[in-house]
Amino acid sequence: MTATGSPGNPNPNLSKPMLVHHFLRALARVNRAAPKQSHARRSRRIRCAAYASMAAAAGPGRRWSRVLLRRLRSSPSSHRRRISVRVARPPRIATASSRVETLRRLVPGGRSLGYCSLLEETADYVRWLDAQVQLMQSLVDFFSS
Amino acid sequence: MEKDLFYGGAPKWVPGAGTTSASELTELNNGFLNLSTWDQSNFDSALSSLVSSPSPSPSSSSPALDNFVIRELIGRLGTICSASGDASPTFAGSGGGSGSGPTSCYSTPLSSPRSTSPPAPFAPAATSCFGAARPAAPPQQFGGADTPGRLSRASSSRSLLAAGPDDEDESSSSVPDGAPKPGNARKRKGGPKGKQKEPPFPPSPAPTTTTTTTTTTITTTTTKAQQRDSNAKRSKPANAIGPEAQNEDDAGEKKGKESNARPPEPPKDYIHVRARRGQATDSHSLAERVRREKISERMKFLQDLVPGCNKVTGKAVMLDEIINYVQSLQRQVEFLSMKLATMNPRLEFNMDNLLPKDMHQECGTMPPPVYPLEAAPTRTFPFSHQPQGHHHPLQSVVNNGIEMPLSSSLHRSLSMPLPPLDGFADASSQLGTFWEDDLQSVVQMGFGQTKEAATFSSQSLHGRHDVDISHED
Repeated sequence: MTATGSPGNPNPNLSKPMLVHHFLRALARVNRAAPKQSHARRSRRIRCAAYASMAAAAGPGRRWSRVLLRRLRSSPSSHRRRISVRVARPPRIATASSRVETLRRLVPGGRSLGYCSLLEETADYVRWLDAQVQLMQSLVDFFSS
Repeated sequence: MEKDLFYGGAPKWVPGAGTTSASELTELNNGFLNLSTWDQSNFDSALSSLVSSPSPSPSSSSPALDNFVIRELIGRLGTICSASGDASPTFAGSGGGSGSGPTSCYSTPLSSPRSTSPPAPFAPAATSCFGAARPAAPPQQFGGADTPGRLSRASSSRSLLAAGPDDEDESSSSVPDGAPKPGNARKRKGGPKGKQKEPPFPPSPAPTTTTTTTTTTITTTTTKAQQRDSNAKRSKPANAIGPEAQNEDDAGEKKGKESNARPPEPPKDYIHVRARRGQATDSHSLAERVRREKISERMKFLQDLVPGCNKVTGKAVMLDEIINYVQSLQRQVEFLSMKLATMNPRLEFNMDNLLPKDMHQECGTMPPPVYPLEAAPTRTFPFSHQPQGHHHPLQSVVNNGIEMPLSSSLHRSLSMPLPPLDGFADASSQLGTFWEDDLQSVVQMGFGQTKEAATFSSQSLHGRHDVDISHED
């Protein structure tokens, strides 16, 4: 993933160290807090931790990060399952409006964004998602080696 | 008659003018008279006087004051709309470059004669406009001077003139009803224009409306039209001129094609066409152009982000690709979190130990000073901490041993965001490569491939295995 900034990006370069910092802390917290929890519960918490660290590292300059942080902070117990996951939805008839609607659902906070801003938020979100996935992958590789 | 109208209106301007004053009126007269000489400065001054910005200039003699003044008024109107090369008012210039003369419905026939003698073309232009606007009005005498091109201009000007009062809605009674549509168009123009360019627009009509209400319809319409034109043009420079200029060009071209009798003019036509028509499409075209450019820019950026999208053309397919990519990334996050959950039991202890150290060290390492400490002996850094690790019990040793690479990597990552990564990892300095490098170092240490880490790494490896076993139980 390139480090170029999207148009109007507050942070042209992704702060990956911050991502690592936040995610490892959250991971440690999860592991420390509930080692005896069910696998599913822990994985869900780790997923929330991933999005939270993403949003924390991205900062409040982005709508999606603000929405994510708000979701995660408001009520972690109830909102844990609502963290921007519509992953398994199969692709439907892709009309223009439906595509935009799908994108709006995918990107947190995209519901009230204009199309242009939605594209910008999507770009930023994709960059951070990419970094997060890379970090998690490397962690998995590290811990499984 | 015109004289009466004009002079009758002139004094009325004074009391009725909110911002205009007697001095302004004299400036106005001067400005009118200046039309004869048609100096650009004079024109500007005339316009400014119209728009209640004082800049008087010496007036020149005019043969027939009444007709000529009105003719000049209309001519100025036409000039404002068409913005000939020599006239080149500030608005036109700012709108899109006044070099070749902003073309409009008006300017086409005017451009050629305008270069020669300003007043002459303006007069027929004025007459055409005027005649079209007010068939029953006194200046029917001007109607004879119309040329086909001017007639077309006249129609547009009529729309402008008629639209003016309709828009202002104050002297609508006096305005001929022959142009309701342009009036509405102008109203529409005022609406969507407002979303982008309204700010400079409302204040300026305010003073003029008061004046125009009290004046005669002719002067009202002309001044209003001029006012609006000037305002329209002013609003254009008030906003971003650069991107708008292009938008104006395109919109102008569009408008040029839309207007029936208008030959497609160069981009300068944009401002005037927009002002003249007052249709929603004008501001729409401008806004659409800006919006389209922004969207294309963002789509290009997304294309770079999403792998495998370089060959994809078209917004729909790109959107599909983006959606697929985002969904795949989110699926990956889910999957990896599940994997981390499974392997976390081994790591929680390490994470526990990792955490306080990281916090302390992170707080300390966030500022740059810590960086030099760890810059050079990156590989040896964890080993330098070995003595400390050895003091602890096995698990802590193990933890430290495992932590060290992580914490060192953390320190590295935290204190040296990007440049050091290049030193460690590939030039891309991606986290993945960085992590790989770090993992390699850890693995090397773990397997004792590094001489320095031979003893410690073996210990850490065994320790880790012990810890793993203990935790797996």
